[in-house]
Amino acid sequence: MLLEVRDLQVEFRTRDGVVKAVNGVSYGVDAGETLAVLGESGSGKSVTAQAVMGILDMPPGRITGGEILFQGRDLLKLREDERRRLRGAEMAMIFQDALSSLNPVLTVGDQLGEMFVVHRGMSRKDARAKAVELMDRVRIPAAKERVKQYPHQFSGGMRQRIMIAMALALEPALIIADEPTTALDVTVQAQVMDLLAELRREYRMGLVLITHDLGVVADVADRIAVMYAGRIVESAPVHDIYKAPAHPYTKGLLESIPRLDHKGRELYAIKGLPPNLMNIPRGCAFHPRCPLAQDLCRTDVPPLYEVTGTDTTRHSACHFWRECLHG
Amino acid sequence: MGQYVVRRLLQMVPVFIGATLLIFLMVHVMGDPIAGLCGDRQCDPATATRLRQEFGLDMPVWQQYLTYMGNVFTGDFGTAFNGQEVTELMSTAFPVTLRLTIVAILFEIVVGVTLGVLTGLRRGRPVDTGVLLLTLVVISVPTFVTGLLLQLLLGVEWGWIRPSVSPAAPFGELLLPGLVLATVSLAYVTRLTRTSIAENRRSDYVRTAVAKGLPRHRVVTRHLLRNSLIPVVTFLGADIGFLMGGAIVTERIFNIHGVGFQLYQGILRQNTQTVVGFVTVLVLVFLLCNLVVDLLYAVLDPRIRYA
Repeated sequence: MLLEVRDLQVEFRTRDGVVKAVNGVSYGVDAGETLAVLGESGSGKSVTAQAVMGILDMPPGRITGGEILFQGRDLLKLREDERRRLRGAEMAMIFQDALSSLNPVLTVGDQLGEMFVVHRGMSRKDARAKAVELMDRVRIPAAKERVKQYPHQFSGGMRQRIMIAMALALEPALIIADEPTTALDVTVQAQVMDLLAELRREYRMGLVLITHDLGVVADVADRIAVMYAGRIVESAPVHDIYKAPAHPYTKGLLESIPRLDHKGRELYAIKGLPPNLMNIPRGCAFHPRCPLAQDLCRTDVPPLYEVTGTDTTRHSACHFWRECLHG
Repeated sequence: MGQYVVRRLLQMVPVFIGATLLIFLMVHVMGDPIAGLCGDRQCDPATATRLRQEFGLDMPVWQQYLTYMGNVFTGDFGTAFNGQEVTELMSTAFPVTLRLTIVAILFEIVVGVTLGVLTGLRRGRPVDTGVLLLTLVVISVPTFVTGLLLQLLLGVEWGWIRPSVSPAAPFGELLLPGLVLATVSLAYVTRLTRTSIAENRRSDYVRTAVAKGLPRHRVVTRHLLRNSLIPVVTFLGADIGFLMGGAIVTERIFNIHGVGFQLYQGILRQNTQTVVGFVTVLVLVFLLCNLVVDLLYAVLDPRIRYA
């Protein structure tokens, strides 16, 4: 395993109380594999990613338990400067909003070149040449001229390409993309996603793709992990999940995708609201919104059951996964 | 860019005329300048009339103003009542005040920005609370209190410095007066930098910089500080003008013969020529500082372009 998160727990201490953002998340990514982490806002998918990168705001954030194994080493036991050396070089992150995530007062060339100056000790001139090369790789036209421009002089899609170039700069083993296409026009989304998928294949990197867009996932992901209230509620290979979800929440998500053959019918929505993370419901966190909920769900937290009867490894945190799978 | 600068410089002409007119009129309504010339006694009417004629004070105000402006454009700012040319007063007073201002601004930049960065990065910790309280105290205490107190302690009681500055006013002797002059602005610079740093520290591009694996000092200086300094630079630029004209109290305390001192004397003696001349130059300095700040803006933030 390239990256293995084991039983990770993160909380935020705020004035109003303790927010339990991540409550025992486990997932793994192999080299060359793409894992899509799916979930609503506030489900803990970004917080998990930030904990992996080591860029959580601490305080108020606190990692209260678990392990993050990267290439066999537990990142949580490393010193800060050892982790810093890994960031950018061995693992990199692509953020959602490229305009605010790029420094407005530095040229894109400076920001790309900085990776080589800091991690590889290159001169500014060599780093500039590398920056041009990178911009060519992500297919930004006229890279030689545009390297001297500032982020605000690029279009949304081009800016996200620069973010991708920055993440790829040192050919890291793992890339975490946190909703990389959410802020883009639909037409540009596909281009950027294709580029990311293509480069990932080329460099044989592991990719953790955080998204709430089920459409994006189907094309690029190998496995899917669905998160709810800071837990993984289902994980499975991408095609299995689309065929037959083993958790009522996943089922709800899939049913809420607009479909052409359902034209004219009311769009399905999961009833209720995501739970308040300061006060997560007892038992299964999803039970207040679940159509299958029984008494057991209100009292017992479901473990991550192994879903048997399929030829692939699947897990579901539902007491009634059988009913869900076949119902 | 070049066009912009030219336009801004041209805008100074009406401001210059307006400012001089306004000050000229204000000094005029303050009263009869001749009345105060003979000390406590009434002036001898014959002498007064002669003086009025000599200084052109018997003419109507508009004519006085036109004559004055005519002279100003030939570089003649008039003479003070003691017979000294106003330009001569300026040439001795402005370098002194300029040195004082430089000392004060350096204090503001070095101490203010440093404290601001330190507290901004440690918001809510003891250092932050301590410095914040201190700035509050400094802002609330008037300059003449801090000035006199420091002069008394350092100059008189402990004898570390000369209590008053010699006429040449070298940089060394201006350290304490510079600090006193800077105190209030220094507190503002600290607070401004602190807020700006604390705000930008949570920004996305700083998170990106951290995610790139940059060392902490590089994240702070290259990414965080440069973005946070934009409001601070604006304040500092405006402050230069303010410090040059507003040093009256500090210059009085430490007996520095700079612009503030001359202005004070001019107002006390109702000397139109001195007051109008000095204030006019100060207005110009103010405008120039503002122009430089606006240009610096574009250097610090490439999103701003002037056309």
